[in-house]
Amino acid sequence: MAQYLRAIGAGAVSIAGTCLTAVPYLFRWGELHKEVTEGYPDPVSSKTSDDLPPRSRGLLVNDIDHCTGCGDCRKICPVQCIHLEVEPQADDSKVWVSRFDIDNSKCMFCGLCVEVCLPGSLNHTRQFEGAAYELSQLTSSFGKGQVTAEQKAKWAAKRESNKKKEGL
Amino acid sequence: MNTLDASAKLWTSEWCRALGFLDGVPTWFYFFLALVFTYCFVVIPSGSVLSYLDRKLSADLQARVGPNQAGPAGILQPIADFLKLLQKQSTEKSNWREDVWLSIHTMALYSTLAVMPLGTFALMLDTEMSAFLPFWSALVLALGTMLLGFSQGTVPGWFGGMRIAAQTMAGSFPALMGLLCTGVRTGSFQWSQLATIQGFSPLSWTVFSNPFQTIACLVFVTSGLVLSATPPLDGGLSMSDIHGGVASQLHGRKYSLYRFGRFYVFFLWSVITVVLFLGAWILPLEVSRFLSDKGANRILSILELILLLFKTFAVMLTVIWIARVNPRSRVDQITSLAWKVLSPFSLIALVGASLWMGWRNLG
Amino acid sequence: MSETPTTEHSTSDHPEGNRKESRHNTEDYRPKDYQAGADYLAEYNAEFPLMSPKTDLTRWKIGPFHASLPASMILNLVLDGEVISRCSVETGFLHKGLEKALELSPWSSLVPYADHLDPENAVFGELVVCTAVEEIAALEVPLRARVIRLILSELTRISAHLSYTVRLARSVGSDTIVHYVLRDRERILDLFELLTGSRFSLNFLRFGGVKADVTEGFIERVLEICELIKIRLKEYNDIFTYNFSFTRRTYGVAVLPVDMIQKCGITGPNARASGIILDLRKSSPALGYDRIDFQVPIGRGESGALGDIHDRYLVRLREIGQSIEILKQLTEIIPPGDFLEKKLENDIKIPTGEAYSQVESPRGLLGCHIVSDGSGSPNRVQFRTPTISNLLCIPELIPGTRIEDLPVVLASLDLGIAEADR
Repeated sequence: MAQYLRAIGAGAVSIAGTCLTAVPYLFRWGELHKEVTEGYPDPVSSKTSDDLPPRSRGLLVNDIDHCTGCGDCRKICPVQCIHLEVEPQADDSKVWVSRFDIDNSKCMFCGLCVEVCLPGSLNHTRQFEGAAYELSQLTSSFGKGQVTAEQKAKWAAKRESNKKKEGL
Repeated sequence: MNTLDASAKLWTSEWCRALGFLDGVPTWFYFFLALVFTYCFVVIPSGSVLSYLDRKLSADLQARVGPNQAGPAGILQPIADFLKLLQKQSTEKSNWREDVWLSIHTMALYSTLAVMPLGTFALMLDTEMSAFLPFWSALVLALGTMLLGFSQGTVPGWFGGMRIAAQTMAGSFPALMGLLCTGVRTGSFQWSQLATIQGFSPLSWTVFSNPFQTIACLVFVTSGLVLSATPPLDGGLSMSDIHGGVASQLHGRKYSLYRFGRFYVFFLWSVITVVLFLGAWILPLEVSRFLSDKGANRILSILELILLLFKTFAVMLTVIWIARVNPRSRVDQITSLAWKVLSPFSLIALVGASLWMGWRNLG
Repeated sequence: MSETPTTEHSTSDHPEGNRKESRHNTEDYRPKDYQAGADYLAEYNAEFPLMSPKTDLTRWKIGPFHASLPASMILNLVLDGEVISRCSVETGFLHKGLEKALELSPWSSLVPYADHLDPENAVFGELVVCTAVEEIAALEVPLRARVIRLILSELTRISAHLSYTVRLARSVGSDTIVHYVLRDRERILDLFELLTGSRFSLNFLRFGGVKADVTEGFIERVLEICELIKIRLKEYNDIFTYNFSFTRRTYGVAVLPVDMIQKCGITGPNARASGIILDLRKSSPALGYDRIDFQVPIGRGESGALGDIHDRYLVRLREIGQSIEILKQLTEIIPPGDFLEKKLENDIKIPTGEAYSQVESPRGLLGCHIVSDGSGSPNRVQFRTPTISNLLCIPELIPGTRIEDLPVVLASLDLGIAEADR
């Protein structure tokens, strides 16, 4: 009998106590009891992507002018999301990267490609909002575009003449 | 029968006269208008307001921001919800058994609109036993829910129906005993009598008139939660293991109808609690006398309704607060609560209240 | 009467072909073996029988999507009223072919893939793989890197146990504590982002150390989080741990007996809650915890039954407290030095050999067996994940509990189906 009454008492006290613990949140008393969510994305969020830590691994971007087209990033990518096509230019020190596509639907933002990039042209931005309405919009292209046939012929001719000059 | 006609004519006739309706309209038309008006202007707006307050309160308790997009601070959220619900379509083939039971369910449910006490002049059924009528409707509701569950042909539906039946049976007895306690104080079960014996100040409310009535009030509210399967005592409808039980096969508009039915029972129960125990709609004596002398019955009924709804929302929000913060109980724990705790306490309350009243009357 | 109709789809150049005519010729739409009078509705009727009010209440198949299941799996239950009398488990829905993919990928992909073994405890997957490879290749890990690895491990342990609390609270129906706990877990995830750049799949450990050094302000943030979580643990106890409804639902339910633990090979907090003293952090000094002073929480059976749901929960809560102590000591002893002994070249070649390494992950003992044949890819990688043993005990643990307790029991076992299916 006593146990019965004690159980009822304990139950009522416990439930009331739990309710009262939540009261500071109702009135937002103090630092510990503030609300932690906010509307996204409007109005403007209190944080933007610049507030993220500097190491955040967001969408990738490649500075095509410094890219040497070595293809280390393509080799090391675990999911093979980088597509690379290179045209040799007139002299071997310059490289025309005609196609450099990153398929963001496959990229898992692991950062291995950024680690192995020797010229340092491939980097993470802190952008993480990459949703798109169409699948084609999920590929980011950084390549300089295909070269016309006559330009290719001109370069090939230049290379031949350079080789001949060196051979002499 | 006399009180029936008189009260019906009294309430709606005022409004009809104000709006320029004819006077020779038959009684049943007044009744019909009264039901429609009650539903459209009392139940649905309270549902909207309460859904907004519920979401904001839950959000505040959980350290988040509730709805804040639709209108300033999300005030128009209920309208947005309503518009969304209208667009919902059911993806399943319609099951005729479900439709039958859902219509029975709805009819039984909304017939209690006629019994809802909403003010001195807004009582449609003010007979000697009118306080017992909502119970009948709650029991029919439970029967309908149980059969709906059985008809679905799935395991979650069957168990949902069975659990609801068990909960309802368990919750009815203490609820009735709690109701009898107020009758002990008042001497009748007529709504007008139950209300006018209380006053505006909390000291004159039934719940504080003697300690046994306090126990009776707590038992009444808790058993109401058991009877109507409202969170936190909604084990029969638990989402986590049987996907809502009875509601697991309902989709789209049928589901919203079902959910609104659940809200309506909760609302009805809270209104009855306030009328029985917490001072009903009684305004301060000066105010009500002033207004009735002036003959401004319409303003009086509006003020009384506002007071009643204010107290009802307070009760409902307290229950919602307890529900959000505490875990759910299992169905067998709920029924053992009802049988082993609420029933003995309700009997103690009844006997104690009667003895108290008797002793007071003697001395 | 109707034989195979001879429609002539004329070979005109019009793109629509003969369509205008055949639209009105319904015989074109019949299958070639059509027989008039055959009962073509038999299959349809068999598939959609008129629903009879009699339901088979003895068998119930839950899954693969259900609110009570932690992830995609199927549970075949045999019911006796509301009590479950038999149960069988089917998993495999989350099989990603991780081990095979690793055989086909170069060594540099090993760490990012190991991240995705169990996305919640990513660092333990990386840790177990790096330890195995370092054993094969005999790589020395500098002390600073080891301490950084331990800091990440303990932070992940706290985050995993907080997530366990969230799952347990959701299954019981207590929604408020869920938001409080998630709010605190966000701070830990922000810490991960500060150090590694990503919240979940860290990709931070390398063979021979870690990828980069600790950023400035990291150690201070770690200590701040320790203080914050200490305060919050008290709040969780007030609001949830000893709540009457919660204790009534979890005292004495689904007791895991010692012989079942030994038979299935269950390790980790589930085993410790039943009284078995087994923690790799204390028993194998190779992990690096030998210089740290902490205690391993064991279940005390306060409810009367040792090893029930409440014990499993309490053990994890106390482990959070102990992890805070460990973190404080680690931040004191972190030595200056290198974070990586030698940066391996892009196409790494690990010498021939094999090794098995094990770590104490928040779910239990996580092991990894790597066989290398000196080429550019591993020959075989096999993970021994703790959830495999937890799944083994389900057919014996669940019978006897009610349907309503099922989500709570499954949440209390801390099942990570993603790591069980690999």
